[in-house]
Amino acid sequence: MTRAILAGLTEFALTALVIGLVILAVLVPLALSQPDPLEVLRLFVLGPFGTIRHMGNILEAATPTMMTGLAATIIFRAGMFNLGVEGSFFLGGLAAAATAVLLPLTGLIATPAAILIGALVGSLACIVPGYLRVRFGASEMVNSLVLNFAFLFAGVYFLNYVLRDPNAGALMSYKLPGDFTLDRLLQGTRLHTGVIIAFVACLLGGIWLYGTRSGLNVRIVGWSPGFASHLGLASSKLLMQAQIAGGLIAGMAGAIEVLGLYSRFSWTGLPGHGWTGITVAILARENPFLVIPAALFLAYLQVGGDMLARNLDVPSEIVGLVTAAIMLAVTAAAIFRHPAFLRLIRDIKGKEAGEEQGA
Amino acid sequence: MAEGPIVSFRGVSKTYPNGTVALTDATFDIRRGSIHAICGENGAGKSTLMKILFGLESPSAGQVLIDGAAVDTATPDFAGKHGIGMVHQHFSLVPILTVTENIILGHEPRRAIFIDRNKAHRQVVELTQRFDLAVDPDARTDTLSVAAQQKVEILKALSRDTRLLILDEPTAVLSPPEIEELFNRLRDLCAAGMTILFISHKLHEVRALAETVTVLRAGKVVGTTPLAEVDDTTITRMVMGRDVDVPRRQRQRTDAPVVLELDNVSTRARDPADRIEDISLSIRADEIVGIAGVDGSGQRGLVGVLSGLMRPASGSIRLDGTDMTRAGTPGWREAGLAYLPADRHARGGTAALSLADNAIAGTDGDKALQWGPFLRRGAIRRRVQQMIADYAVRAGGTGERLDSLSGGNAQKLIAARELAGSPKLLIADQPTRGVDVAAAALLHGRIDLAARDGAAVLLITADLDELLRLADRVLVLFNGKIVADLANHPGLTPAALGPYMLGLETAA
Repeated sequence: MTRAILAGLTEFALTALVIGLVILAVLVPLALSQPDPLEVLRLFVLGPFGTIRHMGNILEAATPTMMTGLAATIIFRAGMFNLGVEGSFFLGGLAAAATAVLLPLTGLIATPAAILIGALVGSLACIVPGYLRVRFGASEMVNSLVLNFAFLFAGVYFLNYVLRDPNAGALMSYKLPGDFTLDRLLQGTRLHTGVIIAFVACLLGGIWLYGTRSGLNVRIVGWSPGFASHLGLASSKLLMQAQIAGGLIAGMAGAIEVLGLYSRFSWTGLPGHGWTGITVAILARENPFLVIPAALFLAYLQVGGDMLARNLDVPSEIVGLVTAAIMLAVTAAAIFRHPAFLRLIRDIKGKEAGEEQGA
Repeated sequence: MAEGPIVSFRGVSKTYPNGTVALTDATFDIRRGSIHAICGENGAGKSTLMKILFGLESPSAGQVLIDGAAVDTATPDFAGKHGIGMVHQHFSLVPILTVTENIILGHEPRRAIFIDRNKAHRQVVELTQRFDLAVDPDARTDTLSVAAQQKVEILKALSRDTRLLILDEPTAVLSPPEIEELFNRLRDLCAAGMTILFISHKLHEVRALAETVTVLRAGKVVGTTPLAEVDDTTITRMVMGRDVDVPRRQRQRTDAPVVLELDNVSTRARDPADRIEDISLSIRADEIVGIAGVDGSGQRGLVGVLSGLMRPASGSIRLDGTDMTRAGTPGWREAGLAYLPADRHARGGTAALSLADNAIAGTDGDKALQWGPFLRRGAIRRRVQQMIADYAVRAGGTGERLDSLSGGNAQKLIAARELAGSPKLLIADQPTRGVDVAAAALLHGRIDLAARDGAAVLLITADLDELLRLADRVLVLFNGKIVADLANHPGLTPAALGPYMLGLETAA
């Protein structure tokens, strides 16, 4: 046990070291181009912790990605490269807004109902590619990627022809009624009660994955389908359950994002929190408990970059650059642990071994 | 062209860095223009020898002579330079490329930087005509039958001025008429001056095709002899080795009730390993039935229908009187199946999960380990610690990953899981392959114990000593059929099993 902890710590230290080096490699040349290089570093690294408000910004930015990260984690754990999380997030937000605009709900049930409908509708984007894979063996990666855009354009059509407020200056929905909002938690930020839901969801997700029978069975199906079939586990059912659960969580994240932050629904492109969630899941090594720090870390980079952009003559795209560099370093390691990838290697090795034994 | 042998092995040995001795002092000649067979059991060293000749491995000692001159085989493009082509048992064709593209792969005719497709097409057509191997040069490889794909492999091997063609178990994937067709083509090639090296463990095929045979056993050349001068018994004895007596299992009861019954069970499958024909057998409680047979004789099909992985095309299966013909894996496990899979890395457990998770996998609904949907971690740890102690698994703790264990210890843990809760039927498929001696002894003890506790045991193993040590009765599979049903008396030896395994005799 202690050996496992030690190995985990070493791995963590290595990851931290790599991330630190990558940040420096991107930031130092940039800082040197500025009149006060140390100020750039200070603002980026320490700035986000400067005030309570900025820390609130970190939590605010981490709220959707924690949930999409959890959704992607559950889906990946079942051994599927289903990228429908992004589409689910978008659909969830749209469906929650539609509920608020179209249904005459008031009072305490209004917000939960909108979130529930958002989750249900949003889950479609994960369920459809998952089903096509389980039923027909179609590549879930390609299908989910393509369907994300199909859902986006169907959603924009719906927004334009059903939800659109003709009196608003741009393509956006009618105002969401006041009963359909999440409470703000911190003055000066847009931090809302959704962050609590996100934390709780990740903790529950971790408990489910590591502490329950069905979590164990999903891990077995995801890591070694052969062993699952040896045990007689209902692999297709477990796979579908994971896609449904992931889709529901991602849809819920979209609903919470819209109800928590906006007074009107105005997404006409994919918001990108699903993609970030996939990044978070890979960074967290597909561990729901680690999704929390991973999402917070990416949010911290985001806030640091925003501060650079606001206070100095530094483009905010630099954050994208830093995140990309970090992801490259971290995923290079993580991808080599991914069950689907490992299975591919094992198949190739198995063939070679078979040849050796053949004669 | 020079006279004398085309290839001579002189004291060739191969020891791998991990200490495995694959070949010891192999010395024999291959006559120019002959069909030369190499015979031996799995692991006898056939593959290593061919890899050395094909330039994939270099010998640790000894020399390979080609046309009488010593050569260094481990040089780039050695095989191409000396005109050696090889058809591997597992095809190495790219499925989405056409026949032509596969054949020219690696030595494409070029015009500037582009592939000269017309020339390639002409070359391939000319090749198919010259060797009378008809395949459509423009067909996509994955649309072809297995036999046609093999033709492509042979054409590919012949495409570079080949003088020596090596075929590794070429008949394993073919049906009898296809085999006949292949043999005719090979005879034609031989008549045209080609030297053919034919690797097989099917004696009648060797006899049908080859003039000379070299027998390998445990990395040593047992002998090289013209087939006309030896009878099958002698070759069998050469392949199987001398008779060594092993201690037998002492069975407690011989009148125990029948637990497993198969009536005329057949499967339909392309792969011969999955194909069984008209199998009838019954196993009593406290009886270990051993299955002998060359790899791919239908063992996988038999295990498949007995574990719910495959459904029989006809026939019926009963376990303890209950019809299990159509049962799936959950049904079989529910009914009391314990199964030690041959491919234990992919099917016996999950490498990346902890010992505890692996040990309790499949115990869904066990109230002692579960509280509602939640796992009782404390109870699980105690249970798994007990299993680890009972099976002498050498492990740091229940939280370690399965792949931190050695092969023998991992198999002991798998056995501990499968044998928990007295099974009715135990399938042990290669239970001790690649396992150290101490672990093998423990596993043998546990299999015996499971039988004494009332399980019917089906033991499938390539290790004939293990088979004779454990089995009460030996069934020999050949081409998916039971060709012999022998009581395991002290006189039964590996050499006595040989003729049945090689398809020369039946005694069902």
